[in-house]
Amino acid sequence: MPLIAAYHRPDTIDEALSLLDNSERIPLAGGTIINADREPSDLEVVDLQGLELDAIEPVGDRLRIGATATLAAVTDSEHVPDTLRDLARRDQPASIRSLGTVGGTIASADPDSTFVAALLVHDAQVELAGSDDTSLAALLDSGIPAGAIITAVLIDPSGVTASRATGRTPADTPIVSAVARTVGSTATLALTGVATTAVIVAPEDPTDGLNPPGDFRGSSAYRLHLASILSTRALEAVR
Amino acid sequence: MTKEHSVTIELNGEAVTSSIRPSENLRDLLRRHGMLSVKFGSSSGETGAAAVLFDGQLASADIILAAQADGHAVTTVESLNTERELHPIQAAFAATGAMQSGYSAGAMVLGTLALLKRNADPSETEIRDMLSGILDRETAYVKPVEAVKRAAAVMRGETTEPFAPLIIKPLTDGTNPVDYDPRRVAPVAPRSVPRLIPSRDVPEMTVVGKPEVKVDAVKLAKGNPAFTDDFEMRGLLYAKMLWSPHAHARIIAIDDSAAVALPGVHAVLHYGNSPRIKYASGGQSWPNPHPHDQVSFDNKVRHVGDRVAAVAAETVEIAEAAVGLIDVTYEVLPAIFDEREAMLPGAPVIHDEADTEGIFDRDRNIVHEIKAERGDVEAAFAKADHVFEQTFRVHQVQPAPIEPHISVAWIDGDERMVIRTATQVPFHTRRMVAPLLDMEIKDIRVIKPRIGGGFGAKQEMLIEDIVALLAKSTRRPVRLELTREEEFTSSRTRHPQTITYRTAVDNDGMLVAQDMYVLGNTGPYGTHAYTVQTVTGLRGLSSYNAPNKRFHCNVVYTNIPVPGAYRGYGAPQAEFALESHMEDIAREIGDDVIEFKRRNWVKVGSEIDIAPHLGERAVEEEELEEYPRVGSSGIEECVAQAMREVEWHRRDDPSWVQPADRPNIRRGIGFAFCMHGTAIPFLDMGGCSIKINDDGSFNMLVGATDLGTGADTVLGQIAAEVLGVRLDDIKVYSSDTDMTPFDTGAYASSTTFISGTAAFQAAKVVRDRVKERAAMLLDIDIPCTIELRGGRAYAPDGRSVSMEDIALDSLHTQEQEQIMGTASHVSPDCPPPFAAQMAEIEVDIETGQVTVTKLVMAVDCGVAINPITASGQVEGGMLQALGYAHCEEYALDDDGRMLNDSFGPYKIYRADEMPETTVFLVQTMEDSGPFGAKAVAEIPKDGVAPAVRNAILNATGVAINELPFTPERVWNAIHTP
Repeated sequence: MPLIAAYHRPDTIDEALSLLDNSERIPLAGGTIINADREPSDLEVVDLQGLELDAIEPVGDRLRIGATATLAAVTDSEHVPDTLRDLARRDQPASIRSLGTVGGTIASADPDSTFVAALLVHDAQVELAGSDDTSLAALLDSGIPAGAIITAVLIDPSGVTASRATGRTPADTPIVSAVARTVGSTATLALTGVATTAVIVAPEDPTDGLNPPGDFRGSSAYRLHLASILSTRALEAVR
Repeated sequence: MTKEHSVTIELNGEAVTSSIRPSENLRDLLRRHGMLSVKFGSSSGETGAAAVLFDGQLASADIILAAQADGHAVTTVESLNTERELHPIQAAFAATGAMQSGYSAGAMVLGTLALLKRNADPSETEIRDMLSGILDRETAYVKPVEAVKRAAAVMRGETTEPFAPLIIKPLTDGTNPVDYDPRRVAPVAPRSVPRLIPSRDVPEMTVVGKPEVKVDAVKLAKGNPAFTDDFEMRGLLYAKMLWSPHAHARIIAIDDSAAVALPGVHAVLHYGNSPRIKYASGGQSWPNPHPHDQVSFDNKVRHVGDRVAAVAAETVEIAEAAVGLIDVTYEVLPAIFDEREAMLPGAPVIHDEADTEGIFDRDRNIVHEIKAERGDVEAAFAKADHVFEQTFRVHQVQPAPIEPHISVAWIDGDERMVIRTATQVPFHTRRMVAPLLDMEIKDIRVIKPRIGGGFGAKQEMLIEDIVALLAKSTRRPVRLELTREEEFTSSRTRHPQTITYRTAVDNDGMLVAQDMYVLGNTGPYGTHAYTVQTVTGLRGLSSYNAPNKRFHCNVVYTNIPVPGAYRGYGAPQAEFALESHMEDIAREIGDDVIEFKRRNWVKVGSEIDIAPHLGERAVEEEELEEYPRVGSSGIEECVAQAMREVEWHRRDDPSWVQPADRPNIRRGIGFAFCMHGTAIPFLDMGGCSIKINDDGSFNMLVGATDLGTGADTVLGQIAAEVLGVRLDDIKVYSSDTDMTPFDTGAYASSTTFISGTAAFQAAKVVRDRVKERAAMLLDIDIPCTIELRGGRAYAPDGRSVSMEDIALDSLHTQEQEQIMGTASHVSPDCPPPFAAQMAEIEVDIETGQVTVTKLVMAVDCGVAINPITASGQVEGGMLQALGYAHCEEYALDDDGRMLNDSFGPYKIYRADEMPETTVFLVQTMEDSGPFGAKAVAEIPKDGVAPAVRNAILNATGVAINELPFTPERVWNAIHTP
């Protein structure tokens, strides 16, 4: 638990943005990442729970998932495509899934989150307050603009989606995972464990340009190998 | 808010307003309000020990700010404790043996409550998902899952049968093998139900052998105060440690002035202001084996996470801040981590100090050289028909109890030091800490309350000297609890080893010689170096008969986090190498693996021939009158049951090994023969004292240390059986150096056998006196004709008096006396339990991922005093062994810093990914044990790794001689020519 110097719980987005107009303050969603930070560091948190950003609802032909919707809520929502629900469930165990939020998961830019990869292949667009909306891919690449907060992510729920992963055990955070989605004849593919965030790759040449950081769970070369194998499998599953 | 602030939560249905600090988490707030069921497992939520219902959903309270909880509803297990009786969910956890230590029981009960509210009839998948965030090192989740199912049934209004083992018929005559028949189908029953194969040699009993509910089940299920941290002290100070950031460095200077000056700081201890008294921290019998290479605070650090300084302060935050203010100047030295490099010329000398005695070769970092031989190994190799040699490497893992090390020390009104601590060895700790405090043993009291798992990590005097020194310095109570990260880097681990076997086999497939060389890595301190490696030799050379055997071992210092005791204690390393080696020999000579092993494994009457030559009481061959022998073995029944259960024949069916519809999958089944020990002969000792109460109940005081294993229950069952009363009439109090008899502690699979025999004998003393008093009341001349049963004493003619009548008469009426008995026990025997371990696995040959799909273990542990707790030991042991085989490992960077010091990166199995596990308890009658019992706690650690390895070999044809079987290692092995 970090040494939190101050806690704020705004009731409106404007109030939240005003509070966050201060580089020493950070937004707090479920707290599963910030509150688990082992390094004691003075910071102020702006808790977003009062902003009522947790709705999961269809908007036209897209699905809008509020930023503070928990992974458990995504898992339980009938609006969410089955594969995405399953990957939200797999992202965290039950006692953390009930706290961890979609917005927080995106903000953490966890390179191993298969759920984030699934959002990518569902053409996720991120709704921001305090900045312009953007694609999830762009956000992962550039980071959240200072002072802005994620309010929702909008996905295209259509198509067929499947994932394939390799880990040490069945529920392990995957060393590498691949999530593929097809809409008609168009395939989209995203990978985890091969870059500093989950990334969209070309289905016809998934490892092109990748230079995965290796660690004790898998070397760079092994991760490239897995990326190739798992991409093929995920794409086969949706074709 | 920036300072103290008010929050209101709905706590168990009532609005509770509290003043909080912004950094305070919900776990701490709840504990502040007396909700002591909410435990500490880590600060990042992944253990689930602190899980509560947060607006009705299971959530880890350690990652919720107290401020975040403002306005929310929080439910803890205390909400169910409205009366003395247990809630049906709590009752189900008690009835099924779902709680061993019970440290996380509150979280599991709450998760069940929430799940059943949503779904009255959840599937096993849903139950396991609910449990996925509550890590458990003890039960393998088998019985918690059963408990949830049972609770669901009860709450649906259904009637449930008592949870009891499934009695099944033996397949053998108890001694001889039977031919495997693939048409035989194993009995069908839930996996949680242990299969019990009775022996006709075992008489029917009333309490022993029965699935009694654990004596501590109520307090664990309710989350009542039971653990070290659950007892509050007025004026408590909090300790924090400064640990070394370097793997090897000399401390040139420490400036603690800023830390000392910080308001709220009461003491800062380090080498500059602490006595330099040498000791060995391993919790072992007096005299502790050498080397005594530690001091409380040294001027040299030898691993990342080594002690540098300790602070006691008014709050944890102040203590942490003070730690950050200690200015240390280091001279960083070269470090070594691999045991194979420790002895090389030019390697840094890790113990270059002058005052450590007992190092075998200080300049080459060799702590011990251990040798033992029977026969003439070299001569046998010289004329052998076949010689096989293989080298294996085993790695470093952690016991990882969910409750980290925690100790509280204070000076009592008599100026004595009292230490309440999570330990497996309270009596050893008292003896070992005394000189470090410059106090006499009589002025120290060590109390072990319930502890949240130990598994060997707590067979150590690890932090007790720190809290006691700080308490002595400040004259205030001091508490120190390790964080999860500290538990990884600064507690104890399993010894890595490099093991080479050379085995000579004749043309008939008989072993003629076996030679084992072990290079053991004890890190920077030799706490259990000698004894663990000795057990490696003992276990590595006892399973199979060979007329010539030799053990040679070097134990070396390195700069890895400190290895010490871990359940199995050197045996899992040996058994991985041995059972892999024997598998490969069988394949090489074209023999059936089980037939080859059977031809050579020890049987009833076989000499256990290397044992007398190893250990603290080793003797030469000429000093022996005779070698100890195997007195009981149910291995043939174990093998027969395990083969049938796992459907052994499938391993030879190509269409099963290589399923046509899954081209990248290969399947395999592997076997390991397991033999362990039961206690350390002539060394382990336990005492017991029993006295009668007015109502005919008994208090039983034992020194034995229940780690959650059910030891208190088992010892109570033994006494109850002897005294003819119910288990509930035996009130057990254990592990308090002031109040209970001595016991060496909980290790070496000794408690049931040693302490159980002490309980048996003490109960017999009481029984005999009860009979004499009953004879007085019944006017019987020959007391031994009286029979005790059902809480009464019966004369041969059928007349009887109650135990209460006897108690009241003896305490209050005629010839008044306290009926009581005391006994202690040490054994010359070490009867081996045996087991057959099977593993069924799948290998993805394109990725290297191994999925373990089934584990079957059939164990001969003599008579299981309590088949539910015994099977729980097997299940939990297999879980830990599976982690050892498959996914757990220490990853260090080039500077010796641990890269994965949290659960997740350090991967332990969760409920939602466990393979099927099935346990068979094969009864044998072991004459040297109480009611026929042998050990069960450690043997489940021995066979999983080699069985998985041999299953991979069956599946792929690839032999992998290094643990763990992580995907890249397996993939490399498959694809490396």
